[in-house]
Amino acid sequence: MTTARAGTPVRTRPNWLAGGFVTLWLVIVGVPIYTMISWSLQTRDDFLDHGPIALPRAITLENIAGVLDTGFVRYLLNTAIVTFSCVALTLLVAIPAAYAIVRSTSWISGFAFRIFLLGLAIPAQATIIPLYLIINRMQLYDSLTAIILPTVAFALPLAVLVLAGSLRDVSDELYDAMTVDGAGPFRIMWQLVVPMSRGSIAAVGTYSALGAWNQFLFPLILTVDPNLRVITLGLQSYRQEFQINLPGMMMAVLLTALPVFVLYLVARRWLIAGLAGLGSR
Amino acid sequence: MSTLPRRSFLGLVGAGVGAGLLGTSACGTDATGGSGGDSGKMSIWVLQEEAQNVAHRVALDAFNGRSDVTGELVSTSNDGYRDRLHTAMGSTNRPDVFYNWGGGSIRSYAREDLLVDLSPHLSDNPEWKDAFLPSVLDAGMIDGKYYGIPARGMQPIILFHNKAVFADEGIQPPTTWTELLSAVDRFKNNGIIPFALAGGDAWTELVWPEYLVDRIGGPEVFNAIAAGEAGAWGHPAVSQAITMITDLIDRGGFGDKYASVRWEGAGASTLIAQGRAAMHLMGSWEYTNQVTDQPEYAKKDQGFTAFPVVEDGQGDPKAIVGNPTNYFSVSKSSPNVDAAIQFLREEMASDAYIDAWLKAGDVPAVRNLEERMDKANDPAFVKLVYDMVADAPTFQLSWDQAVERNQAQPMLDALAQVFLGKLDAAGFVKANEDAA
Amino acid sequence: MVATVGAATGKGAGRTPARPRPRESARPATSRPSSWYLAPAALFFGFFAAFPLVLVVYLSFTSWEGIGDPTLVGVDNWVRLFGDSRVLDVIGTTLLLVVLGWATQTPIALLLGVWAAGQQRNRAILSSIFFLPLLLSTAAIALMFNRLFDPYFGLAAEFGPFQNILGTGPGALGAILFVTGWQFIPFHMLLYQAAARNIPKVLYQAALMDGASGFQQFRHITLPQLKNTVITSSTIMIVGSLTYFETILLLTNGGPGTATYTVPFEMYIRGFRSFEFGYASAIATVLVVVATAVSLVIVKFSGFTKMRSTLEGM
Repeated sequence: MTTARAGTPVRTRPNWLAGGFVTLWLVIVGVPIYTMISWSLQTRDDFLDHGPIALPRAITLENIAGVLDTGFVRYLLNTAIVTFSCVALTLLVAIPAAYAIVRSTSWISGFAFRIFLLGLAIPAQATIIPLYLIINRMQLYDSLTAIILPTVAFALPLAVLVLAGSLRDVSDELYDAMTVDGAGPFRIMWQLVVPMSRGSIAAVGTYSALGAWNQFLFPLILTVDPNLRVITLGLQSYRQEFQINLPGMMMAVLLTALPVFVLYLVARRWLIAGLAGLGSR
Repeated sequence: MSTLPRRSFLGLVGAGVGAGLLGTSACGTDATGGSGGDSGKMSIWVLQEEAQNVAHRVALDAFNGRSDVTGELVSTSNDGYRDRLHTAMGSTNRPDVFYNWGGGSIRSYAREDLLVDLSPHLSDNPEWKDAFLPSVLDAGMIDGKYYGIPARGMQPIILFHNKAVFADEGIQPPTTWTELLSAVDRFKNNGIIPFALAGGDAWTELVWPEYLVDRIGGPEVFNAIAAGEAGAWGHPAVSQAITMITDLIDRGGFGDKYASVRWEGAGASTLIAQGRAAMHLMGSWEYTNQVTDQPEYAKKDQGFTAFPVVEDGQGDPKAIVGNPTNYFSVSKSSPNVDAAIQFLREEMASDAYIDAWLKAGDVPAVRNLEERMDKANDPAFVKLVYDMVADAPTFQLSWDQAVERNQAQPMLDALAQVFLGKLDAAGFVKANEDAA
Repeated sequence: MVATVGAATGKGAGRTPARPRPRESARPATSRPSSWYLAPAALFFGFFAAFPLVLVVYLSFTSWEGIGDPTLVGVDNWVRLFGDSRVLDVIGTTLLLVVLGWATQTPIALLLGVWAAGQQRNRAILSSIFFLPLLLSTAAIALMFNRLFDPYFGLAAEFGPFQNILGTGPGALGAILFVTGWQFIPFHMLLYQAAARNIPKVLYQAALMDGASGFQQFRHITLPQLKNTVITSSTIMIVGSLTYFETILLLTNGGPGTATYTVPFEMYIRGFRSFEFGYASAIATVLVVVATAVSLVIVKFSGFTKMRSTLEGM
C-alpha cells in the first residue's frame, strides 16, 4: 500500500527524455482506446465510408441497443455472480488458512504453506482436461458452480501467501492480549486477524475479482448454455453476432469495460491500492 | 464423407467409412445419464447465424404452440461449435437436438451409441421420408442408419462474383481454369483483388483443393483418402491441385494480405461487396449473409456461377463440393426423444419452414421445390443451387467434415502453410500422410 | 521449484525479528488455531487443483475421445510426443514470448512506474489514462486488437507496414507481444509506482548533496531499491505469459499457419478440437514441467531468501 508519501524521489529539473517516453506511451495506450470509442459510436456505413481514423460524423447510439438486445445484461449478471462468489469464497477459505499457517504450531501448517507455494507454479490451463472430467462426474457440468469452484482453487495459493505475509507482521503481544481477554482462536481471527489484514484482504479481493472477471477457458469448456454465458464468452459470441459490423463489435467490447470503469470511478483509490498492494510490501 | 453419387448419395456413407466402426456401438457408456435438465424443455443446438435462425424460429414457434414440450434454440458461433458440441456430448448434459454435418462430425457419437437411430421412424412415415431429396437425406447416413434429418438448405460451394466489377472490365465470369487465370491477371493489374479470401481461417481455403482435386482426378481421389487408404494422399491429382493453388497465390490471386483476414471479421464479404475484390469462392451461405448484411449489393451486383472446368481434368464439371446440408440429430439420452422426433417430423418439411428458408436465401433439400421457388427473394439463385445439386453426379462433403477429427486439423494446418507459401505440393502430401 | 525453497524457510518462524518477544512464561498459553482452519482451503485446492494435476498425468497414458471412458494405452502418447517436432516448435514459441515479453514489459513498466511516482504536472491525469487497459478483460482486448489489425478495414489499413501484421509469423508474434504488453504493463507500472514511492527520501537528498545527476540517482538509488519489486513483477509476468491462451485464440487463432501456437493453445487444439484428449494431456503435462522449470530458473536467479521474502511479501 502506498502509505508513506515521504519516499517520493526528488527531481530538480524537467526530464525531456522521460517526457518523450511518457508521451509515446500515451499515444500507444490512447489511440486504440480512442479508435474503439470512435468506431462504436458510428453506424457501419459511416464507418466504411470514412475509414478507421476519422472522427465520427454523426454520433449514433444504435450500437448500444444492438448489444443490449442480445443478452448483454444476462452475461453481465452471470459474470457478477461468478466474480462475487469467487471473491467471497476465496476470502472465506483463505483467511482461516493463512491464520493457521502463521499461528498454528502443528507441522501441518508448515506442510500446507509448502503446498501453496508449489501451487503458485501450477498453470490452471494444464488442468482443464481433468477438470472437465471431474466436473462431469460431479454432475456440475454446465453450471456457474463449475466455473466458480476451480477458479477459487487456483486463486488460493496467492491469496493464502499474501494474507500470511501480512499476518506475520502482527505482533505477538496483540494475540497474547486477546488471549488474556479470554478470546478463542475464532474470535481472535474475527477481531484481530481480519482487521489487521484489511489491506491484504483488499489486495487479495481485487486480484481474485479481476481473475474471475477475466475467466475464459473454464467457462468455455465447462458451460454451454447461453443463459450461463459470462461476459468474456458473450464477447466471443458477439464476434459472430456483429460479424461484419465492426462498430457493433467495438461497442460490445466497450460496454464490457463499463462496469469496471464505474467501479474504477467510484473506488479508484481502493482499486489501485489493492492492486499495488500485491507487490509493494 | 466421401463423394456422394447423386442417386445413392447415401449408400456410400454407410458402406465406406462407417463400416466396421459401428460394430461395437453397444459397448458405450451411460447413454441414460439424463440430460438437459427438466423434461419440459428441449434444447435445439444451431449455429449462430441470425439470417438462418429466423427459419428455425418459425418451425419452433409452430411446434411450441402445439406441444407440451418447449423447444429452445441454443446458438453457438460457427468457430467453436464443434468443440463445444463435443464437450457437451461428453457430458451428461447433452443437447436434445443438435445441428451437424453428417459424416465425420457425428461418427464418433454414433459409435458411442449416443444418437437416436431415426431409420425406423422414417420407414414408418414414408411421406416424411419422401419429402426430402433422397441424395441429401442419405448423405446423413452412417453405417446404413439414418441419424440426421436435413434441417436447412443445401450448401454447395459457389463462385460468387461482383457483376459491376466484371462489367467494368468488360469480361465474363470464368468458365475454365485458363479463363480464371487470365481474369486474375487482369484484375490484379487494375488494382482489384481477384479473389476475396478470409485466409486467417484455414477452412475458407479448403474449398480450393476440394474443387480442384475433384475436377482433376474425379471423386475417387478423395474417396480413397476419406476411406483411409494407404498412399491415397499421394495421388497426382492432389499434388497438381496444390501446385495450381500455389501458382494462383503467386499471381496475386488473393491479394497480399489475405492471411490477416478473419472470416468472423467478414472482411472477405465486405471486400467483394465494395468492389475491392472481384470474386469469392464460398458456400451458399455467403449469399444469405450478403442478403442480410449488404442487401443493396446482394440485389444489384451479386453474381454466381459454378466452379470452372479444369482443362484435361477427369472429373465431371458438374460435380460439386460443399455441405449437402446440415442435419438435426437427436440424443438418445434426451428425456424428450419423442417430442424431438415429432418436431423433426412435423416441421422439417413444413411449408412455412421451407418458405422461411427460401426467403432467407437458402435452398432446402426437399422435393418438388420448383413449385415454391417464386417465394424466394431471388428465384434465380434458388434455381441455380437446386439445379446444381440436382444435376451433380457427386456432392463431396467438405473435407474437414469428412475425415476423422484428428486428421482434420493437420490437414487444415498444412493447407494454411501452402497458402503462406511455406509448403509445396510434396510437403502438403507428406504432412497429410504423416497425420493419417 | 518454488515450493521446496519456501518450505525450508517458510515455517512461520522468521519474519518478525525486530520485535521483542513477550515473556512467555509469565502468561497463559496464547490461543492458537487448530489445523482444522486449513481444511477448507486444503480441500478446495486439493480437489480442484492438486488432484487434476495428478489426473492429467494419468490421462497422458490413456486414449480418450472425450466421450466414454479413457482407456490405458501405456506410453503411446509420450512416444508420439517425443517424435513430434511440432511440440518443440510450440515450446520454442512459448519461451520466446515469455522472454521477449519480459524483456520489453519490464523496462517500460519500471520507467513508467518510477515516473508516475514523481510529482510532474499532469501526472495524475496521465496515470489515470495509463490505467485504462486494466479495465478491459483479456478477451475484450484480444478481440479489439484483432479488429484493429484488420488489413483492409482496421487501424492497420492506415499504416503501410502493419497491414499484413497478422499474416506473417514474426508480425503475429510481434502483435501478441504488443497486445499483451499493452494489457499488462499498466499493472506492473502500478507495482513499480507503489514501490518507488516507498524509497526513503533521505537517500535522494544525500545523493543530491553529493552532486549526483538524475541518471546516477536512478542507477544507484532507485534501481537497487526496486530490486525486490523487479523480482515480484517478473515472477508474475513470466508465470502469466507461459499461459497465454485467449489472446492467442482470439487474436491470431494460432496463425498464420501454426506460427503462434503456444503450449496451452496446442493442448486446447489437440484436445477440444481434434478430440485427442490423451495426447493433449501429455502436452498439458509438458506445460506443467515447463512452468516448473521456469520457476526453478527464477529461484536460481533471485536466490533463496529473496524468493521467500518476495513471495511472502506479495
